[in-house]
Amino acid sequence: MAASPVIVTPPVPGRGGPGGAAVPRGLRYANRSLALAGTGAIWIALLGPVIALLTHLSWHAITTSLSAPGAFDPLVLSAESGAVTLGVLVLLGTPLAWALARGGLPFPRVWEAGVLASLLLPPLVIGLLLVFMIGPYTPIGHLLSGLHLSATDTFLALVIAQVYESAPYYVLGAQAAFSSVDPRLEQQAALLGDPPRRAFRRVTVPLAAPGLAMALAIAWARAMGAFGAVVIIAYHPTGLPLQIWTTLQETGLPSALPYALVLLVVALPLPIAAYIWSARARGRRRG
Amino acid sequence: MLEADVEVDRRDFTVRASLTVAPGERLALFGPSGAGKTTLLEVIAGMVAPRRARIALAGRVLTSTGKSATAVPPWQRKVGLLRQDPGLFPHLSIRDNLLYARRGRAGRVGPAGPAGPVAGADGAEGADGAAAGNLAELTELSEILGIAGLLAAMPARLSGGQAHRVALGRLLLAHCDALLLDEPYAGLDASLRRTLTDLVVSLVGQRRVPSILVAHELAETQAFADRLAVLDRGQILQAGSPSEVVLRPASRRVAELVGYTGFVPVPGSGSGSDRGSGPGSGSGSSPGSGPRSGRGSGPGSEETVAGVHPDRVIGGRHPDRGLVLAGVVTGCRPAGALWEVTVRVSGSRATVVARLPEAAPSEQEIALTALDPPCFGPDGTAVGIGETATVPR
Repeated sequence: MAASPVIVTPPVPGRGGPGGAAVPRGLRYANRSLALAGTGAIWIALLGPVIALLTHLSWHAITTSLSAPGAFDPLVLSAESGAVTLGVLVLLGTPLAWALARGGLPFPRVWEAGVLASLLLPPLVIGLLLVFMIGPYTPIGHLLSGLHLSATDTFLALVIAQVYESAPYYVLGAQAAFSSVDPRLEQQAALLGDPPRRAFRRVTVPLAAPGLAMALAIAWARAMGAFGAVVIIAYHPTGLPLQIWTTLQETGLPSALPYALVLLVVALPLPIAAYIWSARARGRRRG
Repeated sequence: MLEADVEVDRRDFTVRASLTVAPGERLALFGPSGAGKTTLLEVIAGMVAPRRARIALAGRVLTSTGKSATAVPPWQRKVGLLRQDPGLFPHLSIRDNLLYARRGRAGRVGPAGPAGPVAGADGAEGADGAAAGNLAELTELSEILGIAGLLAAMPARLSGGQAHRVALGRLLLAHCDALLLDEPYAGLDASLRRTLTDLVVSLVGQRRVPSILVAHELAETQAFADRLAVLDRGQILQAGSPSEVVLRPASRRVAELVGYTGFVPVPGSGSGSDRGSGPGSGSGSSPGSGPRSGRGSGPGSEETVAGVHPDRVIGGRHPDRGLVLAGVVTGCRPAGALWEVTVRVSGSRATVVARLPEAAPSEQEIALTALDPPCFGPDGTAVGIGETATVPR
């Protein structure tokens, strides 16, 4: 689901190219312009929030908000917890995605439905349920406190909340990426002498890499922006989304906006890099 | 030596076949689509699990079912299988595709410099030698295959024929102990087909590996093989030299598969037809049993038929060369440089097709001679050759 970039191609005007030969040229031109304008309007509307952010920021607001002592702590915390989250996702989510795509699991629809269910849960609900699952008075909470750990209002809690919010995006995206690799190519590698693990390394991973990168990028964006579950089980320490929330609550909209910009600046480079890289990888393949 | 004794279930029938291919021998499996040819190759390559099988290659048991079950995985079999789908790796250049098996074996991965793969630290000298050998062979093979100019290209840029040639080159560079070619020349033009066939034939001879070619076009198998096995619905109906199978089909079904289109009741075997002149026994190379002596003259014997192959028919009456047929032309259309003439044989319902150098108008009476036609008894088994099938009246 995540593999395809969100670029809307203009619809073909005049329903069908070759059949539209009877349509007058001027009409065809008007049709095409109309389609282009419509697509552009939708695109601009989608980008609206970003445009609003950029037009409503003043340099003065940025400097005053970000020059306060400890202003960058939320940024560092978000980046750190995001990195750990990605590590967990890659480590645990990749094998699951591969098994879903290729593992020949019994009742594959049931497995998929499970992943989808966690995607469908609203983040706030995930947070509530996490309290019942790993809160201090639960068996897992006891286990954690035995290890001198706690999954409420700690870095660990933040990572857990982010993992739960972003995992389905990564798993489903990675599954799509693995599914897109033709199994006959893996067989071909076997016929040429590659054991399964080597074939996986030499054929499956390189072929799935653009899709995997996109899935990872989307998961990163979700993790950086995770709020619903975080606000319930990891109010402290404060990451960027919560910083925006508390600033908004305490000092109002204008001083919260700079943090929004910071969040965008931190969260976006990885998805953009992944997008460019996977587009180039696909282009290389086309020769 | 490749020995395969295979029993594998397909949807609607079971493939049961037993093959032995000597080193350097070229066996062709010929049969209609869906006869189980590809399945047989896939079992040998280890891609499909058989119900019961014993497969051995160069003294190694690859598959055996039963008490001491063995199933060597495909990547350890050293069986090269070229499938109909070329299956090039889209993320690798043509050069890397061609060298895929070599790099895997050497344990080296990743793009190599222009001078070939960089030698590893251990056994640098041997690796260097191997790399140089790789490169020389790569250059030579890609020249022969006509893909030398494509080495830096990506597979997506290739035409179907080019992709097929690269796949063949990749297989040949893998140096397997057996070569299995599944319709390798599909979609290639005739001259390239001939070049590639010659290449494979000479390499199989040089390397002394057993090889099997699967095809559903007879000419392709004849050009390649020194032995031909006819497979139909999972059974090998006949195996022998290509000319033997074509000229002396063991059964009517084999005859149909190798292109015999007309089956004409043999005069004098009881059909009571009044075709012009009965065929004479001419050239004297008469097998021991004609249909009369072999089959007796019971009621079934009147169904003894002679198989007529369109390419083995000449115009005119030549009783010394085979079975003379007289009839009426019912159709005529061009076929290559020849004319495909359909003739309804007088005195029977049979029609025969003949490819003749001259067109014949419809409704014209015509006399044809089927050269040494094989004859089949009522049960479809071969009973001899037409020239001896009847006693001259």
